[in-house]
Amino acid sequence: MHIDNSKEWHWFKGGIFVSLLSVVTYFIFAALAGRNYPFGITAGFGYLAAAFGGLFGALNDNPVIKRFGEKPDAFIEFFILVGLVIGGYTASKLTQTFSPENIPAAWEKHHGKSVVKRYLFVLAGSILLGFGAALSGGCTTGNILQGWAHLSLGSIVAGASFFVSGIITAKLLYPNLGGKK
Amino acid sequence: MTPINILFGLAVGFIFGYILTRTGITKYPRVMGMLLLKDFKILKFMLTAVTSSMILFYLLGDMGMLTLTLKTLDWGKLVGGLSFGTGMAILGYCPGTMIARIGEGKRDAILALFGTALGIFIYALLIKPLKGFMLTGEMTGDMSVLLGINHWFLIIPAAVVFTGIIYFVNKKFSDDTTIF
Repeated sequence: MHIDNSKEWHWFKGGIFVSLLSVVTYFIFAALAGRNYPFGITAGFGYLAAAFGGLFGALNDNPVIKRFGEKPDAFIEFFILVGLVIGGYTASKLTQTFSPENIPAAWEKHHGKSVVKRYLFVLAGSILLGFGAALSGGCTTGNILQGWAHLSLGSIVAGASFFVSGIITAKLLYPNLGGKK
Repeated sequence: MTPINILFGLAVGFIFGYILTRTGITKYPRVMGMLLLKDFKILKFMLTAVTSSMILFYLLGDMGMLTLTLKTLDWGKLVGGLSFGTGMAILGYCPGTMIARIGEGKRDAILALFGTALGIFIYALLIKPLKGFMLTGEMTGDMSVLLGINHWFLIIPAAVVFTGIIYFVNKKFSDDTTIF
C-alpha cells in the first residue's frame, strides 16, 4: 500500500502549528477560565462521562464526576471535541480524502471483513483508552504534546508507558509486520 | 457557559482537528506504522511540536508571562499509561485523532467515542479503591526541583535528544510507503 505523502502537510509544518496553538490557547484559557493548564482532549470525554453519570443521581458526590462536570472549563473542553469533528471533516473534504468506512482498510486486510469482530475490539480498546487516560491524567495531547513540553515527570512516565504497551500490542496484532524487513 | 467560551472551544478544536487530518496524523496505517516501528511521520510531528512548545513555554515562563502546572508522578501514571497504550494500539488512534476521524467519516470512531467516555465512567466508579493503591506515593513533577538544577540544564539536553531522534528516523525511514 502507498501513502500519498505529497497530499499531506510536512510533519515540521504540522508540528510547529500545534506548538503555536498550545502556547496561544494556554494564554486564552488563563484569561477565560483562570487556569494555568494547557488544552487537552480527555477532559471533553470526561464531560460526556459526567453527563452520563448525572443520569444517576447517586453519583453526584463522586469526585471524578464532579471534577469533569463542574469545573468552569469543562464546557470549553467539550466544545473542543465538537470543533475537532468539524476540523477533521473540513480538512478531509478540502483534500478529497473524506472517505466513509466501517473499518480501517489495513485492519480488514489482516483481520478480516467482520464488522462485529472489529467493533468488539474497538469497544474493549476504547474502554482501556478512556480508563487509562483518566488514570494517567491525560491522553497523547495532554501528556505528550503538552506534558512532555513542560518536562512534567508524571507525563514523561505516562507518555513512555503509552509507547511501551502500544508497541507490544501492535506487535501482537500484526506479528508479521514491522521488525526487520 | 458564555458564547465566547463555546466559540473558543470550537476554534481550538477546529484548528487542532484541521492540523491533525491535514498532516495525516489521523491515518490508521500511520499510527500502527509508528507502533510497529516502521513509519515515523507521527513521531517526527510530535517531537517537533514538543521541542518547539518546550522552548516557548519555558521562555515565556522565565519572562513571567505564564505559570506552568507540572503533572505529579504517582503509580497511576504508569498503570494508566500502559492501559492507554494498549487501547491506542487496538484502535489505531488516540482520543484527539479519534474525534477528527469521526469528521473524516470513519464510523468505528463513533463507537470508540462512547467506549472512551465509558472508560472514564468506570474510572469514576472505581476511584475509591484506585485512590488507595494507584494514586499514592505522589511526588513533584518538577525535575529541576528534584535534581536541584536550573531547568535549562534539562531543556537544552531534551531539545538535543528530540532533534537527534527526528534527524535519525527521518534519514532512515520514508514517509511515502507503508507496511500495510
